[in-house]
Formats: sequence, structure tokens, C-alpha cells
Amino acid sequence: MNILTVLLMLTSFSLTRVSHMKTAVQLLVAQSLMVAAVCVVVAAETASLHGYLVAGLTLVVKAGLIPFSLLRMLKASRHEREIHPILSYNLSSLAAGLCLVLAHSIVGQAKIGADNGEALASAIALTLLGLMLIMTRRQALMQVVGLLTMENGLYLVGLSITHGLPLIIELGIFFDVLVVAVVLSILIRRLRLKGLSTDTSQLQELKG
Amino acid sequence: MDVLIGLIVGVPAAIAAAGFLLHERKDALQRLNQGGSLILLLLIAIVARAVAQHGVIQGGLFYVDSLSALLLIVVGILQTTACWVSAPYLAEEGVSKEELAKYYALLQLFICTMLLVLMVENLGIMWVAVEATTLASALLVAFYVSRSALEAAWKYVMVCTVGICLALLGLMILYYAQTAAGGNGSDALSWLVLRREIGTLNPLLVKLSLIFIVIGYGTKIGLAPMHTWLPDAHSQAPSPVSGLLSGALLSCAMYVLLRHLALFQDAVPHAFLQWLLLGFGLFSIVVALPFILVQHDVKRLLAYSSVENMGIILVGVGIWTPLAMYGALLHLINHALIKSALFYLSGVIAQRYHTKDILRIRGLVRLMPLTGSLFLLLLLTITGVPPMGIFISKLTIIWAAFQSGDRLLGVSLLLLLAGVCAGLLYYCWQICFSVQPRQAVPSEAERVVLAAAGISFSVVLFLGLVMPVWLGEMLHQAVLMVMGG
Repeated sequence: MNILTVLLMLTSFSLTRVSHMKTAVQLLVAQSLMVAAVCVVVAAETASLHGYLVAGLTLVVKAGLIPFSLLRMLKASRHEREIHPILSYNLSSLAAGLCLVLAHSIVGQAKIGADNGEALASAIALTLLGLMLIMTRRQALMQVVGLLTMENGLYLVGLSITHGLPLIIELGIFFDVLVVAVVLSILIRRLRLKGLSTDTSQLQELKG
Repeated sequence: MDVLIGLIVGVPAAIAAAGFLLHERKDALQRLNQGGSLILLLLIAIVARAVAQHGVIQGGLFYVDSLSALLLIVVGILQTTACWVSAPYLAEEGVSKEELAKYYALLQLFICTMLLVLMVENLGIMWVAVEATTLASALLVAFYVSRSALEAAWKYVMVCTVGICLALLGLMILYYAQTAAGGNGSDALSWLVLRREIGTLNPLLVKLSLIFIVIGYGTKIGLAPMHTWLPDAHSQAPSPVSGLLSGALLSCAMYVLLRHLALFQDAVPHAFLQWLLLGFGLFSIVVALPFILVQHDVKRLLAYSSVENMGIILVGVGIWTPLAMYGALLHLINHALIKSALFYLSGVIAQRYHTKDILRIRGLVRLMPLTGSLFLLLLLTITGVPPMGIFISKLTIIWAAFQSGDRLLGVSLLLLLAGVCAGLLYYCWQICFSVQPRQAVPSEAERVVLAAAGISFSVVLFLGLVMPVWLGEMLHQAVLMVMGG
């Protein structure tokens, strides 16, 4: 479990240093694979079928369908990179470190989930990191990656404090995540069709 | 009854599916949607009547009480008007057959998800449905594939999804508190079970959960400072959709918040709850005010007015007396009806003048007497002119503010509303009366649009003059439900 959380943090940290969209999506796949692995570990601990089912779903939806659609969209695109993020790579790595420290201090303060505080802290850090990516990256696709990272983080928070929500709600959440990814890819594709850049900092027409 | 509730969700889904079979024939598609919306309205009326008689309908995943029934009626009326108004609006826009089929399918899915939000019992499933409303409406916001529409849709999905993820975090914390207090998996996040047990949960966790939930769903309601997506999305969507977004979707989001507050009020100190709600409510009005005073886009003007009205409703809720809650619920209904009608008419006006710029829309009453007068009346209504229903609901909230002993709150609310009123009346004057010579006289709005807006207006006018006994009773029941009676 501890090895898994460390690996998870490492892959997520590398997200802050990525400029190629393709690498970012591959890292997202790695991250989702690890989330699935955490699911399996938890399922084995609690010996629940529900856990294995959710692990399988994570594998199919988050490590399969979503990255597949994102990569397909990338293939059709011009070579777009995150050139000038709002926060430079070094600074965002530093911010990611701060997220981790913050997460640990929150968990330490709250003293909840004492049995797997480590996992909970990483989960919160992952959520914060996702939020940071959304706010500091200009490329539309990087923001999607950030959103999915945040979702993964939230999912782990749920897993580490309650061993997961009831199945029907989890299914609904998976479905929503899938549709978010689809809707956002449709929007990105339409931006491209209009011949517009997918650099969201250029989307600043609507004001006041 | 269970069958009926299933049908309410099923009818829009079925229409969405059937629409694809008819995508070759524009007229048939439109008639299908218009007819279907009437059937749906009828079903909703039957369910609402049953709720008025028996109090609560529940079974399986569904739970409908008077609060849900009130909102069901609102969404029922609005989806009907939106479906009928869509036909002339889209004809004027000249959209293709394929686009039309896509539009109606998304519209029906959007309606379906909103109805689902209002009828499910489990808070987790309610969350899933709320997120689904965002996703179903996002592509409608981006219906015109223009740069600004795509920008609005992108912001809408991003901001609302992040917001709603926070609400999910709140729900997870609540579920954690529930399991820690010995709840088992089968009644996880069930509203009815939680309502019984919330007092036994860890108060600190419950409070933390409340904060995340208010911020999360507050994003969806369009409370400042999380409102940034709202004016963009509401102004860029096709006008019938703007009407639904502003009238129905915001009301549904407010319903979700009320449903959660009904739970939390037993477990959280009231002073804290009031401080949170009044803070967000007043701040929303304050933030919306300057944008209403200096605005040049007629649809954005209406959107900021929605932010302001949601603020008023939240202040009403935050005062937390039965009178204020009654006023807030009444205001929710009135606002939904009037704002949707205003969006429908503004859509027609923007089409006729070929602009949404207020400075270029002149002499409306002279050029389009019927449409102009109706628009004028609706704008006057939203500012709270007597004897319309909105006057009554605003008055009730302000009265309750003074009655609760908080004079400062009452006075600041009055001043803010006066400011908003001044802004709206100024633009109302500009649009309706200032004269500008024009060669081409724009034609009146289509009869359907006038009828839809007229019906909404007459209902609100009627509510200002007489309160029907059954509606009064239903409002009373809903107030009791939220405040825990």
C-alpha cells in the first residue's frame, strides 16, 4: 500500500513537469492504473466483491476509454504543447510539494482515518494537485488531465476513509466522469474545427 | 404512483430517443416535442395533486414531498414553454435538420436529468443527477459553434464540475461520519435515514461536510464568488435554453441545497448556518449590482439579475424563520416563471434587431407594440413592482428580515434591491421607449412565444393578487419540511 502511494505521488508529480500532451495522458493512465491497484488492495483487505468490481471499472473507464479518446483526439491535432504555463514548471513542482505538506498537516490535525492516514494524505494531495493543474495550465487538454487527476484524488479520499461509496452511487460517478471527458473532448474538437487554438487563455472574450 | 414517477423520467428520455428516428422530418420532430411536453406536464400535475392530497409519495429510489412537488410544477411549466418556444426560435435561426434533432435530443435529456434531481431520495444519486444536468446542458450552451459559445461552455463545465466535486467531497465526509456512527452500507447517504440519525453523527465532521456542500452546490446555484460561469453560459445558449437554465436549473440547484439544509439544520449551530447563508446571499446581490448597473448585453443583464435573485432567495432562507422561508420559496417560483419568459422574449428581440447590445435596441414598444409591452411588464415585474407576485415575495423576505430583529440586514437588503431596481428600470426605459429612426420595422414575436410569456406573466400576476389554497398549503408543508417540523 505504502509503495503504491509513493508511486502514485511520483507519477502525479511528474505531471507538473510535462509539456507534451501525449506524455501527460500516458502519466494519467499510469496514475489511474495505480488507483485501480489501490482498489484491489482495499478489496483484498475487506474481502468485498464490490471492491474488485470498482477496480475493474477504474481500469476500463479511467485507464481505458478516457485516455483512448483523449489520445485519439491528440492524433488528429496539430502538435500542441504547453509552452507558457501560468506557473513555470519549477514553481508548479514546488506548489505540488506544498500540496503534499498541506495535505499531511490537514490529516495530522483532523486525526481522522488513523489506520490509513498516509493514503488519505496522498489522496488529498492528489486532489489539490489536480486543482492546481486546472488553474495554472493554459492548454485545454492539460486542464482535462487536471480535472481527471482531481477526480482520482477525490475517489481515493472516499476509498481511504470509507472503503468506497455504495455501488450504485459509484456507478453513477463513473458514468459522470466518462461523460465529462466526452463532453470536454467534443468541445476541444469544436475549438479545433473553428480553427481556434486550444489555448484557453485566448478564450477571454466574455467579460462584464 | 411508482409507475407515474417512472413515466415522468421516462417520457423525456423516450422523446429524446424517438427524435433520432424523426430527424428527417422537421415538423414531425417539433410536434413530437411539443406534444410530449404537454403529456409530461399532465403527468407532473397528477403527481403534484397526489402529493397535495397524501403528503408524500415514496418508493424505491424515489421520494416526492411538497418541496419536490413545487419544483416539479415549476420545471413542468418551464419545459412546456421551452419546447413550444424552441420551434419559432430555431426556425428563425435557420438551423439544419441534423442540428435540430441534436438540439431536441439534448433538450429532452436536460429536462430528464432535472426531473431526476427533484425526485431521487438518496443524496449520492442526487449528486450524480446534478452533475448530469451540467453535462446535458453544456452542449446546448455550445450549440452555436462560435468562439464565445465554446468559451462559455468550457467555463461552464470546468467551474461547475470542480464545484460539484467539492460537494462530492462533502458527501464523502458525511458518509464517513455515518459509517463511523455505525450506519451500515444499505442506507448510506439515504436522506430519510440521515434525517433520523444526523443528531448522532460527529458534529465536527457534519459541519465540515456542510461547508463543502454549500460551496459545491452554491457554484451550481450561481452564488458569488463562484458565479463566473453563469452570465457567460446563460447569455451564449440559445434563448429557450437560457430560459430553462435560468428558471429551471438554478431552481433545481436551490432545491438540492434546501434538501441538504433540511438535514443539516438539526446538527449544526443555527448561528453558523445563518452566517454562511446570509453571507453568500448578500455577497451575491452585492456582486451582481454593479454588473446590472453597467451592462450592454441584454441577456447578460438578465443573467446577472438571476445571480441577484438567487442571492435574495438565499437571504430569505438564511433568515431562517417560517415567514422568510415561505417568502424564499414563493420567490423561487415567481423568479423561475418570469425569468424564463424574459429570456424567451429577449431571444426574439435579439433576432429581430440582429443584436444583443442594449444600446442598439431602441423604441421597442413603438416598433413591436405587443412584444414590447409584454417585455416591459415582465421587466417591471422582476424589479418587484406591485401588485405582481414578485413584489409579494420580496416584501415577505424583507419583512421577515425586519421581524427577525436584524435591522441592519433589512435596511441593507432594501438599499441593494433599490439599486438593482434603478439599474433595471434605466435599461427598461432605454430599450422600450427611447426613439431611434429605423427603416425596417421588425415584426412582432410569434404568437406561441407571446402566449408562453403571457401565461407566465399572468400566473405571477395572479399569485400577487390571490394565493390559491392548495398552493399555500403546499408552500406551508415545504417550509415545515425544510425547517424540520
